[in-house]
This record gives sequence, C-alpha cells and structure tokens, in this order.
Amino acid sequence: MAIERTYYTIDPQGKLQCVKCGVPLEKGKAKFMYLANGFPVELPVCPICGFVYVPEELALGKVASVERALEDK
Amino acid sequence: MSQIQERGSTHVYKVNRISKEEIDSMVALCVYEQPPFCNAACPLKLDTRAMLKAAAAGDFKKALQLYEKIAPFPLILSHGCEAPCEQKCRVCEVGEGIAIRDIEAAVARFGELSRLGGIFKTTKKQSVAIFGSGLFTLFLAGELEKKAYPITVFCAEADEEAYLRAAAPFLDEEAFSLELKRLRRKDIRFCFGSEIGPALYSEKRGDFNVLCASEAVARSLFPQAVCIPELMYCEEEDLVMGCGEGVMDAAFGAKKAALTVDRLAQKLDPRNTRGSEGACDSSLYTDLSEATALRRVERPAEGYSKEQAIQEAKRCIQCHCEECLKSCAFLKHYKKHPGLLGKEIYNNTQIIMGDHQLNKPMNSCSLCGQCSVICPNGFDMAHVCAVARRNMVSTDKMPLAPHEFALLDMLFSNGDAFLCRPQPGYETCKYVFFPGCQAIAIAPETVKAAYLDLCERLDGGVALMLGCCGAICDWAGRYEMEEQTREFLDREFAKLGDPIVIAGCPSCRKELSSHDGLELVGIWDILGQIGLPEGAAKLSRPVALHDSCGARGDAHTQAAIRALAEQLGCQLIDTPYSGDRSPCCGYGGLTAYANREVAAEMTDKCLERSDAPYISYCMACRDRFARQGRESRHILELVYGTDAGAPPDISQKRWNRLTLKNELLRDLWREEPKEMNLPYQLDYTDEARRMMDDRMILTDDVIGVLDGFRESGEAIFDSDSGLMIARRRIGNATFWVAFTREAEDHYLVHRAYSHRMNVVKGQG
Ligand code: SF4
Ligand code: SF4
Ligand code: SF4
Ligand SMILES: [Zn+2]
Repeated sequence: MAIERTYYTIDPQGKLQCVKCGVPLEKGKAKFMYLANGFPVELPVCPICGFVYVPEELALGKVASVERALEDK
Repeated sequence: MSQIQERGSTHVYKVNRISKEEIDSMVALCVYEQPPFCNAACPLKLDTRAMLKAAAAGDFKKALQLYEKIAPFPLILSHGCEAPCEQKCRVCEVGEGIAIRDIEAAVARFGELSRLGGIFKTTKKQSVAIFGSGLFTLFLAGELEKKAYPITVFCAEADEEAYLRAAAPFLDEEAFSLELKRLRRKDIRFCFGSEIGPALYSEKRGDFNVLCASEAVARSLFPQAVCIPELMYCEEEDLVMGCGEGVMDAAFGAKKAALTVDRLAQKLDPRNTRGSEGACDSSLYTDLSEATALRRVERPAEGYSKEQAIQEAKRCIQCHCEECLKSCAFLKHYKKHPGLLGKEIYNNTQIIMGDHQLNKPMNSCSLCGQCSVICPNGFDMAHVCAVARRNMVSTDKMPLAPHEFALLDMLFSNGDAFLCRPQPGYETCKYVFFPGCQAIAIAPETVKAAYLDLCERLDGGVALMLGCCGAICDWAGRYEMEEQTREFLDREFAKLGDPIVIAGCPSCRKELSSHDGLELVGIWDILGQIGLPEGAAKLSRPVALHDSCGARGDAHTQAAIRALAEQLGCQLIDTPYSGDRSPCCGYGGLTAYANREVAAEMTDKCLERSDAPYISYCMACRDRFARQGRESRHILELVYGTDAGAPPDISQKRWNRLTLKNELLRDLWREEPKEMNLPYQLDYTDEARRMMDDRMILTDDVIGVLDGFRESGEAIFDSDSGLMIARRRIGNATFWVAFTREAEDHYLVHRAYSHRMNVVKGQG
C-alpha cells in the first residue's frame, strides 16, 4: 500500500463545536480535490456528522496558492 | 443559478487558432531589439549606444572596456576608422550627428588601461603562427590573444617598438606610447629579426595548428594565392591571410580572420556558422523629438578633452523603441521586449504538460488595441492575447478562476436580470435601446431617464433590452459562450421585429457589430439628431474627456461625443493620449478580474493625464475612475441631469440591475415582478461588506450559505470568536460565512471567504 503523505494538519484543540451534533470537532482525515488532483489533509471534523471545517487562514493561504498552481498546470 | 463547467485536467486536445508563421510575422513587427543605427553601421559591431552612455556618465573605464571589445588597439582604430556609424546616426536627420569617433578617441586616451591579461587565462591547446608585420597582423594578434590562443609572431623587426611603428606610423607620441604599453602587456610570443621566406615557413609550418600571414608575406610566398575576402583565407595553401587597405579593412579583416582561425582550429569548414558579420540594416524606431542638443561640441585640433567628450556623448539620444511601454501600463508592468512577450504568450498556449507560466500576463492585457495605434509598426498585442486565450480555451487549458466571476455576472445579466420588452402599446418597434450591462449596474437612474426620453422623442416605438452584449465572453476567449450569447440576443431582437439597436456603450456597439444584419447606432448619434433633453447640464469646471477603448478607430463616435459635450457647454481640456491613442481604464479584456494590480496601474495611467474631472462615455471607465477617487461622470449623466453617485460594490451592481428591471416592469409594463424578499433578516458588518467586495463574494452567495444552514442546521461554533460558521458549495466554489444569530430570524454576517477546492471527508 502506498504511503499517503498528509499535506496539512490542523488540531481544533477543543475550541470548535458542531452546532448540529453538539460535540467538539476532532482532528480527522479529509481530502481536498481540485481539477482531478487530490490532497490528503487533517482538519477539524465532526465525529458524528462528518462536517469538515476549513479555517479562513487555510482557505486564503495554502489552499489559494495551491489552487493558483493547479490552475496553471 | 446558471453555472459554468470547471475545466477537467485530464483530457488534452489541441486546436491551433493561429499559425506559428502568423505569430512570428506579428512578433517580427516589434523592433525593440533591433540595434541602434550607429551600431548597425559599424562593421565591427561596437555597442556604440552603451559606450556613449558610459561616456556621457563620465565612466571612461567602462566605455573603454566596451570599445576594447572590438578594438584591441583602440587608439589606432579611432585614429584611422572612417566612422560609418556617424553618417547613420539618427540625430543627423534633425541636426548634427554625434561625433562618435572623436568620443572614441577621447575614451581611448582617457580611459584606464585594462588590467594585465593572460595571467589567469587558460590558453587554448591549438597554437597559431603569424608571419609578417603591419596593421592586419597586429590586429589579428590582438584578436587571437583575446581568444586565448598561444600565438607566435615571426617578424623582421627587432623589437615591439619597431613592430608597432611599422604597423601604425601615423600615431603621435602620446598615443604610440600608450599602444606600446598595451602591446607589451599582451600575451604574444615574438620571434624578432626573423628572416621571413619559404625556408622559415616550411621549417615552422608543422609546429602550429593554424598559420596566418600578412598580405605581403602571403603574396611573396605564394604569388598565385587567392584570398577569399569574407574568410580572409587562402584555401589552396590553407593559410589565413590579410587583404585590403587602411585601418578599417585591417580591423574588420582581423575580426573575420580570427573567426576563420577558430573554425580551422576545430577542423571545421570556415564557411559555416559564422553568424552575422559586418554592417547591417536596422529598422529600429527612434522618437527624434528627444533630440534637443543639435549642434556638435566643437573639437579642438588635439581632440576632445574628457569634459568635452562627456558633453558630446550626452547628445546621444540612446535610440530605442519603447513607444508602447510609455503608454500601456500592462506592457510597462512586465517591462520586457513586447515582441518577445507576445511570443512567450503564444508559446504558453502550446504547452501540453507542465506549467503555463504566462497565463497571468496573457489574461492581464486589456485587449484595448492601444499598442497597435501607438506602435510605429502596428504591433498588436491585443490580437496575440485574444488569440492565445481562445487557444487556451480550445485546448481546455484555460483556468476558469480568473474570469468566472465576470462570466457569471454576464449570465446573470442575460438571465435573472434580463429584460426585453417592446415599448408599451407596440408589438414591434423601430428601435431598441441597449444600454449595456455596466450602465444598468452603475447608473440605473440614468438608464431609466434615457429610455423614457427616447420613448417620448422617437417615432416608431423604442423597445428596451437590459442585458449583456457578450463582450465579457469574447474577452475571456470563451468563443462557444459568445456564439450562444449571439444567438440568444438575435432571437430576442427578432421578437421585437429586428429593430435598429441604439447602443449606450461603445464596447457594446463594437461587440454587436459582429451580428449579421443588425443595424446599429450610438445613443450619442440619436442625441445629436434630436438634440439635448431638458435638464441637460454641464459641469461648471473644465473637464477631461476620456475616450473609450471600445471607440478606438471609430472617428465617427469620437466626434459625436465631442459634439455632444460641446452642445452641453462643457469646457474640454486637451490631454495627451486621446482619441485613438487613449489607454484603457483597466476594465477592458477583464484585466480588472485577472490582475487587479495591473488594472489599477491602467486606471492611474488614464488619470495621470489631467487633474480635472473626467467625462467618459463608457460606464466601466466612469466606475473605475470614481473608485480611484476622481470626480468622474458618464456623459449621459450630464445629458439627463442625473448623478449615479459613489460607485456601487459588486453586490449593489447586481441589486441595481434587478431593481431597475422590476421597477420598469411594474411602472411601464404593469407586470408584477418576482418577490425578492428574504424570509429572514440579514445584516452585514461594515467589515464584512468590505471583505465581500474585495473577495468577490456576493450577498447572493451569503444568502445561499444561510439558506443552507437554515435547512440543515449544519455549522460550527468557534468559542474563541463567538461566531457560528456555515458553508455551502455553490457552483465551483465553497463559500464560508461567519455570523451571529441576533434573534430567531435575524443574522449578522461578520466574515466571509471562499475557496475553489472541494473538501471531502477523508477515507480511512
Ligand atoms: S512600440 Fe513597442 S511593440 Fe512597437 S516596435 Fe516599439 S517596442 Fe515594439
Ligand atoms: S543617437 Fe546615439 S544611439 Fe542613436 S544613432 Fe546616434 S549615436 Fe547611435
Ligand atoms: S493593454 Fe492595450 S495597449 Fe497594452 S498590450 Fe494590451 S492591447 Fe496593447
Ligand atoms: Zn456534526
């Protein structure tokens, strides 16, 4: 089995709650998909409903720059 | 809402929409890299412009280094050179050309002697023998020494001094002693007092890889010798030889001979791969208005002093063509050879795998066509970039992200906000007013006033069409969408009985002119015929008129607008770069979406022409100038005595379109528009508003997220900030909204952001 590299990891440290399920978000596996490319990451995820949270800094920083790079491929 | 399919990244097919030959001939129009005329005329290819620049700056050391590149003995050359460069100097056309040779002489006299050569040089393996003396052999020895050949000179003279005297008897003592110093520093082996004749030649020929001789020696050894002058070579005897007379012949001959030695040393045919040699032509463009000092600095008998040489060198206008860079903020931004940039943009479209690094420049040109007017040779970057974008779209390599917002905006204009109705009381109409999507978004009151006025004062009925002409997809290179838009609009025009289209915007007029059989006029033409309505008012201060890039090459429209301004009583200030030479405001070509920085530079470029308020006849120009803080009015605002006020943000623009449509539907056509009310209250902090405008997030996007939240209840709560954060995938992006719930059905939005990547819960 290929070893999957995790491109980014973020720990909610108990500060984030799922409004719907009423439980704290936990560090969990998620995947960014764009233009037929996929990147495994670890993000705050609700253990019950699976809501994956993408914080603003991540969206405007790393995510945006990877988007630009892929768009020009 | 309408959507646009994101491109895939796996399938690759290729349709070339412009041939390599076409692009090459277009790119060849740019003369940016052509040599200056003096340099082209110099058989030795002295970088005259650079040398004069250094001399003008008083940097004689650098000037001499440049001169020594082509002249191993600069004092000898400057003494005897016939200076063909001087006749070709462009300043000759308006005054006295630059005294290049006299400056060279001063540079050779006052410049520092270069450091000792040879010590750290690695010498080549192939050795060269030179038989005889005279200018040609002296120069050849100098050239070959520069190329690091081990050289042996066999000559009859007793020492260096005699050898130099034999070559350059015309030098005065000062020059002679300088050149002697130079000669002694060179890494050349001399066999003085040689008895040059067949015996010595046969004895030595086996010891060297390449043999060279002065013309006199060659002829005495081989009376039948035929010298090929382009190569300075006698093929039968395998001998590099001199031929010709005078300093220039000797210097140029030595250059050619040194190249022949290079080829022979590598056992290659000396005829091949010699590059371009000797004087050539140049088609460089020079703005001669820069030449202001037209008279030469007087030269005393002993030659220029250092100071005089500096003054004379300063008269050189440093011939170069940057006409387009002076006027186009985009080209200035990338600041490189425009022809080359065009070539790279084209090559970018040919990449199948790998990074398309030129996407951003390709999408940053406003396709305004100013360059094709400014460039003395008609180089047309707009054409290159427009074709390149279409190429990228056709190979499915064009990123959607830079243009998606604008394209969606167009779909909105021709979807939810679209309106097409005949004048009340008519089935079909003689005219249809087409104000353009930007006018509707930015100045809805003005559009309304104009429409009511046209209905009242024109016979035969005036229909109204609120929509987008399709320029947006044209600019984005989305030719299929453009075709769909064309068909859609044509169907709507047909419903109205194919009326004459009264365009409110020159770019719409231009775009619509590609429709078959459509009769088009500008509202400015109509107003010219029927006169101004009541309430028309000029601005009290003098104003600068900004010509729209949509009206480039359209003298008729430019004149009609001026006539209108005159009728209004406007006092127009004459500005440079008006009419066909007018720059783009930054909206054209979707620059404002693809490269905000360049777009802002374009706006600044427009505004630097005058401090007065700007009058324009394209609503996008009006908007961009106002956003930059300039008092800015569309000419129709003056005609109809309206003031569109502060520029709206992206959401207000959409809102304005919908509101105008609904208002007119209700007031003129007695139709009840669709309910626009939300079932809950939604407010925004000022920061959220600013953030949304900057990040191109619409209130519609935020509403989409909150609608989703109200349905699913999905959100997270961040205890640090006290905000709830919900998200929703809309089209090709995921939108996130951070809000507080103020009451049961009342939300206050604090932040919003988005990303295009799709995030999914991971496996395992
Ligand atoms: S104006 Fe610009 S595009 Fe035209 S030749 Fe000069 S540098 Fe090239
Ligand atoms: S003005 Fe200067 S660069 Fe131009 S041709 Fe004359 S010497 Fe050369
Ligand atoms: S922005 Fe206009 S002037 Fe500049 S390169 Fe593009 S078309 Fe030419
Ligand atoms: Zn949950």
